[in-house]
Amino acid sequence: MGETATTEPGFLTTARERQRQMVEEYYAGLADAGGAKKPIAYMFVGGNLTEIVRSFGYEVVFPEIVALNCAIKHASLPNILNAESQGYGLDVCGYVKNDLGLQEIGGQTPFGRVPPPDLLVCSFSGCYIYVKWWEALAEKYGCPLVMFDVPYMRDALPQPEDIQYLVAQLHEFVALLEKTTGRSLDLAELRRTLANSRQAEQGWVDYLASGRRHPSPIEAYFEAVFYMFPINVLRGTKAAAEFYATVNAEVDERVRTGRYPVPEEKFRLVVEGVPPYPSYRTFWDFFRKWGAVSVAATYPKVGGLFDRGFLHDPARPMESIAEYSLGAYVNQSWPLRRKIIEDYVREFGADAVLIHGIKSCRSFTAGQGDLRDWLIHDLGVPTLYIESDHEDPRYFAPAQIKNRMDAFFESLQQRRGASAIATVTA
Amino acid sequence: MTLVAGVDLGSTTAKCVLLEDGKLIGKSLSPVGVELVKDADRALERALVEAGRERSEVSVVTGTGYGRFKVTFGQLTVTEIGCHAKGAHFLFPGTRVVLDIGGQDTKAIKINEKGEVIDFAMNDKCAAGTGRFLDVCAGALGYDVNEIGTLSLGARHPVKVTNTCTVFAESEVTSYVSRGKDPKDILAGLHISIVNRSLSLLQRVGIEPEVTFTGGVSRNEGMVRTLDRRLGLRVNVNPLSQYVGAIGAALFGHERLGGSAA
Repeated sequence: MGETATTEPGFLTTARERQRQMVEEYYAGLADAGGAKKPIAYMFVGGNLTEIVRSFGYEVVFPEIVALNCAIKHASLPNILNAESQGYGLDVCGYVKNDLGLQEIGGQTPFGRVPPPDLLVCSFSGCYIYVKWWEALAEKYGCPLVMFDVPYMRDALPQPEDIQYLVAQLHEFVALLEKTTGRSLDLAELRRTLANSRQAEQGWVDYLASGRRHPSPIEAYFEAVFYMFPINVLRGTKAAAEFYATVNAEVDERVRTGRYPVPEEKFRLVVEGVPPYPSYRTFWDFFRKWGAVSVAATYPKVGGLFDRGFLHDPARPMESIAEYSLGAYVNQSWPLRRKIIEDYVREFGADAVLIHGIKSCRSFTAGQGDLRDWLIHDLGVPTLYIESDHEDPRYFAPAQIKNRMDAFFESLQQRRGASAIATVTA
Repeated sequence: MTLVAGVDLGSTTAKCVLLEDGKLIGKSLSPVGVELVKDADRALERALVEAGRERSEVSVVTGTGYGRFKVTFGQLTVTEIGCHAKGAHFLFPGTRVVLDIGGQDTKAIKINEKGEVIDFAMNDKCAAGTGRFLDVCAGALGYDVNEIGTLSLGARHPVKVTNTCTVFAESEVTSYVSRGKDPKDILAGLHISIVNRSLSLLQRVGIEPEVTFTGGVSRNEGMVRTLDRRLGLRVNVNPLSQYVGAIGAALFGHERLGGSAA
C-alpha cells in the first residue's frame, strides 16, 4: 500500500479531442464575432442567462472561464501583475485581476483574442467583488450593465415569490435586448435553445452519475473539468447537446474494458472548491499517486446543479431560467451546500472529503473551515482542507500541500488497518 | 533481534534513532545543509557509532520530515505528521493530542488510542510561531536560542508581541529594545505569542486532557511553562522529545517487520 508510480492521466480519447476542438472553435469564433461586429455579452457562469442572449444573436464570453484557461496554460500571472500595477490589491480575486489585466493588453491570450463586451450581464450578484468587476468594465467600455438581482437561496426549493421577482427582471431584460438589438424575442428560438440545454444537462448528469460505480469510471473533479466546458460555455448550442453522448459512450467503454482513471482505486473522495488551475497537473498527481479518485465534486456544478433534479424546461422558459439562476451552487446557503456534500459522501460511497480553499476568494471559500469541522466532528468524515489559489501561481506551495496530502492519505490508510508506509518516491 | 532506524530530515536538523526490538539503543542529532542525502547518511552513521552497531545489521530504514525522499538508502517514507503521532503515543500511550513545534512547522495532531492520526492542523506558508521565529528573535536580542526559554521565566511584565510574521516580529523586538524594555519581558512576550498561535491549531483539532509536546522547541522550558499555563494542564515532554519523529519513523519500520509499536 502507499504511493504508486505516476503515469499519464487517462482521458476519454474521442471526447477529449472533441472538447479540445470545441474550445478552439469557440475562441476562433469569438475573434470572428468581434470582427463581424456580432455583439458580445459578458456573463458569469453561476446562474447565467445564456439562452436568452443567444436567442438575440449575442455571442457569450465568460471571463471566469477565460481566466481559468489562462491559468491552466500558465498565462495568468502576467495579467494579474498587470492588474496589480493598476492598483488592484493582493487579496483581490484572481479571476478579476486576470480579466482586468487582460483587458489592458487587448484581450490577447495564448488561445486567441477575447473581444471586449457590448453588454455586461451580472448574472450572479452574490459576490460583491464581481459586481465591482462589471462596474469597472462598464466604465472602461461605456457599455450597458444589467444587474440581475438573484436572492440568496434560503430553502431547498425555490420560493414562488423569488421566481416571480426574477421573471419580472427577465422581462425587463428582454425589453432592453429588444431595444438594443432592434429584434423581438423569438420565443420559438428560445425554446429550441432551452431544449438543447436540457439535452446537454441530461447527458452531463448521466456522466456525473457514473461516479457512483465501484470503481468509478470517471474522475469527477480533475477530468470532469475538461468536459465541463461545453455545459458551461456552449450550453444552448447543438454542439453541446450532442457532446455528452460521445462522453458517455466512452465512459461505458471504460467500464467494459476496465480502464479506470487510476489503475487501482484506493480512495474515493468528494472534492469541494475551485481547483488550483496554475498547478492543476501537479495537484492532480498528488491524488493519483495514492490511487485517489474524486467520485463527486461540487465545483463542476457551478454552472448548474443539474444532478440535483433541475433541468431547463422549454415549456416554461422564463420560470425555468429563473429557477436555474436561483439554484446556482454559489447561490446556495451554507446549510444547503453542506447537505449536498453530505449527500455526495453517502450516495457515492466516498471515504473522505477534500476541500480546496481559494486564497483570493472569500465569497466561495468563507465557511469552508466550518464545513471541515462539521464533516470531521459531526459526521465523522475524514476531511482535509488545503489552500492555494485558482489563478495566482504564487500561492501554490507544492512541498507543504504534498506533505499535508501524504499525511492525510496515510491516516486514511492506517484507519483501514494497513500500515501507513510508502515506498520511496518523491 | 531486529534493528530498525528512523531518520527525520527536518528543515534545520537531522535526527536518527535506532530501535532494537522496540528499545532505543542509539541516536544522533546534527544540523542539515544543502546535501540532504549526505546529512541523512551522516545521521545514521552517528547513531550506529553511538550504539556500537554496523549498518549491515539494520533491517529497515524509514525516512521522515520534509527531506524524507532524500533518505535514499531507506526502504520506507512516512510523513512527520504520522511519525510524531506514533512516536508520541509510544512515549505517552495515554496522549490523544500532539503539538510538534519544529524549525519551520507547527503541527497539532489528534490521535486515537492506537497512535493513528485522526486529524491535524498546521501553520500555513509562514514560519511565525515556529523554532525559526525564536531563532530570529533571540538573535535580535543577542542571545543564544538555547538560553532564552529559561531567561523568559524571569519576566515580570511580559510585553505584547502582536505581529504574526517572523520578520516583522524582529522589528518589533528591536523597537522594544530601543524603548528600554527588559529583555526578559520581551522574551516572555515572544513565548506567549508562539503559544497563542499554537493554541489556535490545537483548538482546531480539539484539546484533550493529555497533550504531548514534541519537536526542538519543546526543549525550551519557557515554552513548556507558558503552554502549561494557557492550557491549564501539564503537557507531556520527554527528554527525547526532539527525536519523536525519528522514533515514530523507526516504529513504522518495526511494524513493517511484524513488530508491535505498543
